[in-house]
Amino acid sequence: MPAFAMRKIVKRFPGVVANREVDLTIEAGEIHALLGENGAGKSTLMQILYGFHSMDSGSILIDGKPAPIGSTRDAIALGIGMVHQEFMLVRRFSVVENTVLGLKENSGPMLDLRQAGRRLRSLSDQHHLAIDPHAQVQHLPIGVQQRVEILKLLYRNARLLILDEPTAVLTVHEKDQLFSVLRGLRDQGRSIVIVTHKLQEVMELADRVTVMRDGRVVAAVSTRETSEQELARLMVGRDVNLRANRAPIERGRAVLRIDGLHVCDEMGQEKVRGVSLDVHAGEIVGIAGVDGNGQSQLAEAIMHLRAANKGSVFLNDQEVTRLTVAQHRALGLSYIPADRRHVGSIPEMSIADNAILGSHRQRTRGLFLDKRKIREHAERLIARFGVRAASSGAVAGKLSGGNLQKLILGREIMQDAAAIVVEQPTRGLDVGAVESVWLELLQERKRGKAILLISAELEELMNLADRIAVIFEGRIVGILNAASVTVEKLGLMISGIALPNATPDQSA
Amino acid sequence: MKLIERRVTPADSPLAVACAMAAAVVAAMLVTSLLFALYGANPLQAYGALFHEPLATWRGFGYTLVRTAPLTLIALGTIVSWRSGFGYLGFEGCFVVGAAATGWLALSTAPGGAIGPLPFFAFLPMALLLSFAAGALWAGVVALVRARFGGNEVLISLMTNYVAILIVQYLVSGPLRAPGGVPETAQLPRATWLPFILHGTRAHAGILLALLATLLVWMLLRKTPLGYELIVSGLSPSAARFGGIDVGVRLVLAAFFAGGLGALAGTVEVLGVQHRLMDGISGGVGFTGIIVALLAKLNPLAVIPAAVLYGGMTVGANAMQRRAGIPSSITFILQSLIVLMVLASDVLRRYRVNLAALRPAAKTEIG
Repeated sequence: MPAFAMRKIVKRFPGVVANREVDLTIEAGEIHALLGENGAGKSTLMQILYGFHSMDSGSILIDGKPAPIGSTRDAIALGIGMVHQEFMLVRRFSVVENTVLGLKENSGPMLDLRQAGRRLRSLSDQHHLAIDPHAQVQHLPIGVQQRVEILKLLYRNARLLILDEPTAVLTVHEKDQLFSVLRGLRDQGRSIVIVTHKLQEVMELADRVTVMRDGRVVAAVSTRETSEQELARLMVGRDVNLRANRAPIERGRAVLRIDGLHVCDEMGQEKVRGVSLDVHAGEIVGIAGVDGNGQSQLAEAIMHLRAANKGSVFLNDQEVTRLTVAQHRALGLSYIPADRRHVGSIPEMSIADNAILGSHRQRTRGLFLDKRKIREHAERLIARFGVRAASSGAVAGKLSGGNLQKLILGREIMQDAAAIVVEQPTRGLDVGAVESVWLELLQERKRGKAILLISAELEELMNLADRIAVIFEGRIVGILNAASVTVEKLGLMISGIALPNATPDQSA
Repeated sequence: MKLIERRVTPADSPLAVACAMAAAVVAAMLVTSLLFALYGANPLQAYGALFHEPLATWRGFGYTLVRTAPLTLIALGTIVSWRSGFGYLGFEGCFVVGAAATGWLALSTAPGGAIGPLPFFAFLPMALLLSFAAGALWAGVVALVRARFGGNEVLISLMTNYVAILIVQYLVSGPLRAPGGVPETAQLPRATWLPFILHGTRAHAGILLALLATLLVWMLLRKTPLGYELIVSGLSPSAARFGGIDVGVRLVLAAFFAGGLGALAGTVEVLGVQHRLMDGISGGVGFTGIIVALLAKLNPLAVIPAAVLYGGMTVGANAMQRRAGIPSSITFILQSLIVLMVLASDVLRRYRVNLAALRPAAKTEIG
C-alpha cells in the first residue's frame, strides 16, 4: 500500500486544464521526482496535495485511507510539508522563531523558544543539517536557509517532504549537501518529492520518476530503467538533442578584448580582480564559475553598466571602457543579462515595446515612434525565434521563462552586434527551450560573432564553448580548451579545489 | 465549477477596467448615501442637487470648467513624474511658484511697471514660458538631489511645498504688496487676464490650455521615444540602464515637465480667476490634482473626465448644502471614498463570475 496516492486528480483553471486525471503514487522511503516542463501541471498537482488549491475531482489517499485535505493546515496535520521555491522565512527572525511561527503548541501567552530550540538542535544534529537554531535567517546563506525550511518540516514531523525546484538557487557544493540530507531522510522511511525539470538531478537523486506533459502523466518509471535521453523525450514529446553539434570554424581576429579589469560590487568589495581575456570572431569563450565569483560584475563592467576601477575593455581595437551603454550598443556590443525579468525585459510592457529596448531611438518616423514598423519588427522576431505569444501586443510578463528568454535573445541577436555577452542564458529553462537557445548561440558563432558565455552550468559550457575560462574569486584561474576537459575536472576547478593543469592557451 | 473564481491573471481589457471603475464610483456613492440618510435627506435628491448645478446649469458648468483647468494641469504633471518613477508631491509649491512668476510678470506690464504695457498675444507666451521654467527649476532641484545623491523625493518635495508657500507669503506681504489691509498684490492689468470663453459664465481660456496640455502629454508618453524612455525608467530603472537610457537625466526631465505643468496651473488660476497674487491662492489644488491623476489611473486621456467629476463635485457641494441641507464637507468624504474604491477596485478584475455554475447539476467535462 503506497504511503501517499493521488487518484484521477482533475484541476481546471479558467481557459486551461492544469491536471487531467493525474495519478501519482509515492511510497514510504523513496525519493520521487516529478518531472515536466514549465506549465506541465506539476506545481499545480503539488499545491493540491499541500492543500493550497482545491481539486475539481479525484481523491487523495494516505496509507490507503481517503484524506480530506481542504487547506494547508489539514495537509500539515496529515504529515505533508512543502519547501517552496521562494523560501517562506521571516528574514529578521531566528530559526526557532521561524519554526514555531503559526504552530498550535505556541498559542499560549508566552513563547517557549528554549524548549523548541533544544528540539531543533537535536533534530539538526540527527540529520546533519548543521543549523544553529538561534541564528537570524537573514545572516544565513541560501543553502542553509533551504535546510532551515527542511528543518521546519521535520519539526512538524512531516512524513512527506515536497521540494519545488530545490536546486535552482544552490551552488554545486550546496546541491551535494542537500542531496545527502535528502538521502538520509529517505533512509529513515520518509517520502520525498522533488519537483524539477533538470534531468541530471532526477537520474542522480530520485528512485522513481513521474513525468508530466500538458497536464497528463506520460510515464511513471524507476530511474534504474530509464535514461536522460528517454526522460527528455517523454517530457518534451519529441526527440531532444542534448548534445549540441559544434562544427569547427576558423576563428577570426579578436573582437572583444578585456585587459586587467578590476570591478567592485555595491558594497565596495572588489569582485573582479584583474581579468584579462580575448574573444575572437566566430568563437564562444565560456566563463565557468560558481555564482558570486565576480561573473555578473564582469559582464556589467564590459557593458559599462557598472564602472570599472582599473583596466580597459576594447571592442574592435577601440577602447570602450568608459563609454555609455548606449555607445556600447551603437558600436556593436550586445548583452543578455542573467536577470530576465528585472534587467532584460520590462514585464509590464508589451512584447513589441520590449523588442525595441536599446534600439528605440532608431525606430522613429519624424518625431514619433513608428508603431507600425515596431510591430512588424516584433512580429519578425516572434516568428524567427519561435516565441510562443498571442501577439506582439501581449504583455511580456505573461510569457514563460523560455519564451521571454527567446524574446531577449532575439532582440539582442537582431541588433547584429559584433560581440555578445551572454549571462546564464538557460537558467530555469526547460529542455526544449535550452535546446533552442543553444542552437541560436551556435548559429551566431557560425556567423562570425564573438560570444562571451558566462554560465554556472558546466554541461552548457562543455557543449557550446571553444575555450573555457574558469573564474574563482574574481580571478581567471585557467583557460582550458573545451575539447580536452572533463566535467569532473571543471567542477573541481570552479570550487577552487584543483589547480589548473591545463595546456596554456597561447592566444589567450 | 464555482460561482466566483479567481483568475490566474487579472482581466485587463479596457471594458473590464471601465466596469471596475464604474462599480467603484457606484459603491462610493452607495456608502455616502448612508451619510445622507443620517441627515434625513433623500440620497437621490442629494445627488441630484450635487450634480445638477455643476453639470446641468450654464453658470455652474462655467464654474466646473474653472475648477477643471488647474486640476487637469496638476494631474498631468503627476502622471509624467510618477510614470517616470519620480514620486513627486510638490505641486502645491509649483503652483504658487508659477502663480508668483506670472503675477510678477503681469504687474511689470502695468503702466509704469518694469516692462510696460504689452499686447496680450505677446504677454501670454512670455508668461507661460516664464512660469513653466520657474516650476521646472523648482521641481528640477528635487530631481537633481535624488539623481545625484539618492535623496528621497517624496519627502523633499513635500517639504519644498512649505518653502514655496512661505516665499509667496513674503512676496505678497512685502515687495509685491499693494497698499491696503490685506496681504495681496494689486489687481493685475486687465490686458493680462485670460479671456472668458463662455458668455455669462466665469469660464476662461485656461481650460483650452489644459486640453492642449493633455493632448501634448498624451503624445509625449505614447508616441515619442522620450516618452518610451521615461516610462521604461519608471517601470524598471535597471532595464532602462541596460537599454542604454540615462535614468538620472530622464528623472530630471520628468521633474521639469511635472514642475512646469504644476506652475502652469498657478498661471491659469492667477490670470483666469483671482487676477491678483495672494496668500493661500492654491486652496490645496496641488494635492487634489494628484488625486485626480490617481482617479485617472495615470492615463492622460482619462484626466479630463476625472477632473470634471472632481471639479464638478466641488462646485455642486454648495448647491447641495443650500438645497438639501447637507453639509458641503460630505463631498470631501465622497471624493475620498471614490479614490479609495477606485484603487481597491483592481481586486474585482482578479475574479470571474461563472453564471453557468448557477444552473443546477451542470455537466462538467474534461477539456
